[in-house]
Order: sequence, then structure tokens, then C-alpha cells
Amino acid sequence: MVERVLQGIAASPGVAFGHAVTAWDPELVTLNYTLEPADVEAHVESFRTSVERSRRQLLKMQAELESSAGGDSTTLIDAHLLILEDSMFIDRIVDKIRDERLNSEWAIQAVSGNIFEAYDRVHDDYLRDRRGDLEDIVRRLLFNLRSYQPPTFRSLRYHSILVGKTILPSTLLELKSPRLVGVVTETGSPLSHTAIIARSMDVPAVMGVADVLPGLISGELIVVDGDEGVVIRAPSESTLGDYRKRVKRVAISRRRMSRAIHAPCVTKDRISILLGSNINFSQEVESVVANECEAIGLYRTEFDFFREGSPLSEEKLVRDYSHVLSVAHSLPVNIRAIDVGMQEGSEASSVPAGPRGLRFLLENKPLFRRQLRAIYRASTHGHARIVLPFVSTLDELAEANEILAGVRNRLKRKGIAYDETVPIGVMIETPAAAQTCDLMASEVDFFCLGTNDLIQYSLAIDRKEHASMDLYNPFHPAVLRLLRQVHELVSPSGKTVVVCGEIAADPPAAAMLLGLGFTALSVRVGAYRRVKRMIRSVVLAELRELTAELLTMRSRDEIERRVREVVG
Amino acid sequence: MTAREAVIGHRLGLHARAAAQLVQLSSRFRSEIRLTRPDRADEAVADGRSILAILLLAAGYGTRVEVTAEGEDEQEAVFAICEYLEGAASIAGES
Repeated sequence: MVERVLQGIAASPGVAFGHAVTAWDPELVTLNYTLEPADVEAHVESFRTSVERSRRQLLKMQAELESSAGGDSTTLIDAHLLILEDSMFIDRIVDKIRDERLNSEWAIQAVSGNIFEAYDRVHDDYLRDRRGDLEDIVRRLLFNLRSYQPPTFRSLRYHSILVGKTILPSTLLELKSPRLVGVVTETGSPLSHTAIIARSMDVPAVMGVADVLPGLISGELIVVDGDEGVVIRAPSESTLGDYRKRVKRVAISRRRMSRAIHAPCVTKDRISILLGSNINFSQEVESVVANECEAIGLYRTEFDFFREGSPLSEEKLVRDYSHVLSVAHSLPVNIRAIDVGMQEGSEASSVPAGPRGLRFLLENKPLFRRQLRAIYRASTHGHARIVLPFVSTLDELAEANEILAGVRNRLKRKGIAYDETVPIGVMIETPAAAQTCDLMASEVDFFCLGTNDLIQYSLAIDRKEHASMDLYNPFHPAVLRLLRQVHELVSPSGKTVVVCGEIAADPPAAAMLLGLGFTALSVRVGAYRRVKRMIRSVVLAELRELTAELLTMRSRDEIERRVREVVG
Repeated sequence: MTAREAVIGHRLGLHARAAAQLVQLSSRFRSEIRLTRPDRADEAVADGRSILAILLLAAGYGTRVEVTAEGEDEQEAVFAICEYLEGAASIAGES
């Protein structure tokens, strides 16, 4: 096979090479690895059990259908049953397990992958669609197999790159393994939650790679270049050599940066900047502390909240938040109430999808109260701060403040200990909030500026649609002016604004934020060190002048060019 | 070995339902049964008991298919399968 370079969109920086693990069913990521000789027969056995289970399920379904719908609808099930008896399928899988020592999940995928390919080669539309029957069976087999051997994601045996049509944020979280070195998806964009998590895990990712899956076999060696936004299949020796060098270079520069860990976060003209880290799940707090970050500027709680598929119980939430707060110790932690509406796994849904953020919480008050109670109950363990997501009117804010007071009163009546001084902040992430933050300032203790949404809504773009990605640009003159406005509106109140969107993670854009007057930034853990290095290399007075100049410019390209000239 | 050619008489060709019935029919005989498409360059050979292979023949209405069988009941098998393919016979109990 010749080397093939597939173009996508850079979604998480860095480069990696490893073996592809295909996840064509986002719910069913399987782990592929070579078996120890002693385990081979056990896998053949569990595969056969899964076939038998699947067969019984189908027969039962068929019997039910026959009594209700008559014979006609059962022929489809006949086809499924026949696939389970088909030696072209079953025997080949057993051979794969025995001869190539593939684990059973991998063997199923390898054989069905070959058959899928054969189907795709046939020029017959109706038949091509029949691959759905086989997919169905494969899914059933894998599910039935899974109940016998729950895969543990920690047991990846080699460097793996997860490849799927879409990959759910939760899948990525589950996979948290040091052997997961890259992520590739056919859909999605750098602003999807999956991308955000890949970045926070420091895993290179490329998204929007059309047609990467057809013909891709699990186990194939591929390269992911999250800097250039490309995926390379069948890389040549010389390409691999280049990437080996790049991977090594990154590791060296990381080590070098880690030496700068203890240096204070001040500009050259000795202005101290608060640099915090964002986290998406509770276990990330350890790496934040290891990086000596000064704050957790944004803890997006929806991932933990829904990690079990349904909302966590209050007790589990208390445990999560207590863990984060006690590990963070004296660092302030901005705990943002769940921002649903954008979470809900399906990345395909387009953006303004139902009520979001605070609107959702006000429509689901029991859920909102449960989370607030959990935060307050955990608040004795550290320095908690509550952030309300996606606020767009003062009325919503007033209603939320009432609920907060109600939760506190109830805890007090019940004699449950909590920190009465937990500050309350709001996210500025709608143009409405950006316009009215001066009015909100008297109602809250601080602000978080969520630039991802703010830019998207201000520039009228759909951030899940990667076609419009080049429209999403933090250097747009409108963005610059909007950010200046927020700073000017909030300044008189003396309340802090922590800028915690993706914009703060890009050193040149972050420099622009400093020039506008913002003194608190919060970035994903992976970007922390390079933003800190930028801060330590600039003179704030010069950035102020630079920003004044940028504010007179007419195009985003002009602005971006100029910033990058000054800040590398 | 017995061999004979048949022209697919099912209007939808050998698609899921017809293929499933063909597999069930083939399974009634002891002989090894193979189907090929002489017109196809890749000389695809399908085991008469493999639904996936039969579907991969992608034999539409009017396609010529060669049926071969080897074994004690090869003649009956080839006859029954060709009749089925040409649409002259349907399988007992099904329409």
C-alpha cells in the first residue's frame, strides 16, 4: 500500500504514530491486542458463546414477531441467523483468533471489515445497503461478547489511535490510558467537546477527515499530525522517521518547559498575571496541581455529572467535588454548574439546540438544586466558587440567586456545614451578557469569559459545522471590540474577569487579551506552560500599545499577522 | 459433478430474502454446492450455504449464474436450486 495523506482539521496539537483502533460504533469501542498463546482458546470459547447468545436472542425475537406480525417480517431475522451460521464469517473469525492470535473483538472486526470492503466494491446500491445487516450482527456479537469480558481500557497493549465517525466525549474519558496517543474523527470540529477533552488530555487529534474509515483495518499503523491537521495511512519509512524525530522533539521541549514550572507568572515589566487551568473531569485536578497552576479557572462539570449515562446522585457529586477541592487545596476552583444542551454526546446536533446552561437549569430545578447542594456540602474542603453557565438575562440571574439562597437556607436549617462565603460568578458567553455585564456586576462576585460561545454567537457561525471553521476566528475585529467592551464595562466594578475560552490557550491571542487589560486567564492543562512562557516573555506596556494599534485594523488577517509578528 | 446454468428470475434478484431462502434450500442437500458468475472477471465463487458469499455475487434479475454440485445428491440439488433461481419453484411453505 502506498502512503496516503488525508486532510482534516487540526483539533488538538501534537503528533503521534500508533495502531489504529477503529470505533465505527461510537458506543462500542473495542480494544485490539495480540493474545498470549494461553488465552487463545478462552477467546474462541467466549466468541462461540457470544454467537450462541446472539442466536438465542434472534430466535426469541423471531418467535415474538411471528405471533404478532406474521411471517413476512421475520425473513430479515432469517438472514441474520444465517450470517451466524455462515462459515465465511464464523470460521474465519475463529481462524483469526487461533492463527493470528487476535483477541475476539478484534477478530470479529477484522473479518467483518474485509467483508464490508467486498460489499463496498460491489456496484449495486441495494446490495451495498445490505451491509447494514452484517453491521447489525457484528454489533450484537460485540455486545454479547462484552458482557462476558468487560474490556478495560487501561489494558491497551500498544500506542493506539482511536478512529471513528464520531467519538463521544465520554468514550475519550473512559479511555484515559497513557497508550492512547491520538484521535481521528470523520466529523466534528476543534470546538467540539471531544476536541476540548483531547486537548486537555494532551492527545493529538484531527477531525473532519472525510472517508478515513473505509478500508481502514484495526491495527494498521497510522500517523496523526494534530499540528497540520493530517492523518497519514501506510506511512513510508522516511515519513515515520520524520515523525519519530518530531515526537522526540516535543518530549524534549516539554521537559525543558517543566523546569520553568516554579517561575512566577509575571510579565517582563513585573505585572503579575493570574494563570489558571480548566478541567473537564475531577481526576484532572492532580495534573493541575502538578503544574503548579494558580487556580482552576473553569471546572466544566457536565462530563462528570453524566459520566454514568444518567445524572449522578448527590452523594457521588459531593465525593467528586470534595476530591477536587481538597486536592486543589488553597487554590480557588470555579465550579461551573452543568451546561447541558451542548453536552449530550451527539455532536451532529446543530447548535442552538433547546434550552442551554442556566435556562436549562431553571427548567430543571431539582437537578440544579442537587448540584448546588453537592457543591455547598463539599465547600468545606477547599476554596469553591460557583459559576452559572450561559446567562443571558438579569431575570434569570435573579432567579438563580434565589435558588442559591434557598439551597443555603435549607442546609443551614438542617445543620449541615458549608462555606457561607462561596463566591458566585457568571459566564459571559452570550452577546447579551457581554452587553449587560456592567448591570450584572452588582449581582455577582466575579465573571468568567467563555470566548468559545461568545465568538460563535457574535460571528453567527455554527461551531459544529466544520465547513464554517475558517469563519471562527478570534482575531476578527468584532471579537476584539467586543472583548474590549466587556473589559470596559466590568472594570468600574472592580470584579475580576477570568478569560477561560480556547482563545487564552493560543499565546498570540492570549497576549492580545493581556493588551486589552485582562489579567486573569485560564487554559487547558496542555497549554498551561506555553502560555506561561509567553507571559514571562512580554512587556505588558508594549502589549497595550500593540492592542491599541490592532483596534484600528480592519481585517482579521491583518490583526492576526501583526500579533504573530510580535508574539511568536 | 453436476453443473447447470440458470438465469435469475426473481425480480429483485438474489437479495436478502431470496439469498436466505437459497441458503436454506442448499442446506437440505448433502452435496457441496457452489454458485459462480461466469460473466464476472473475478470469477467469484459462492458457497451455497454462505449467505454473505451469495449476497456478494450481487446477482440481479436476468443475471446468469452457474450452479455446480458435488456429492451423492448432486443432480437433485442442481435441479432444485436452478428451479428456485429461475423462479419456477418457490420453497415449500413460503411464497
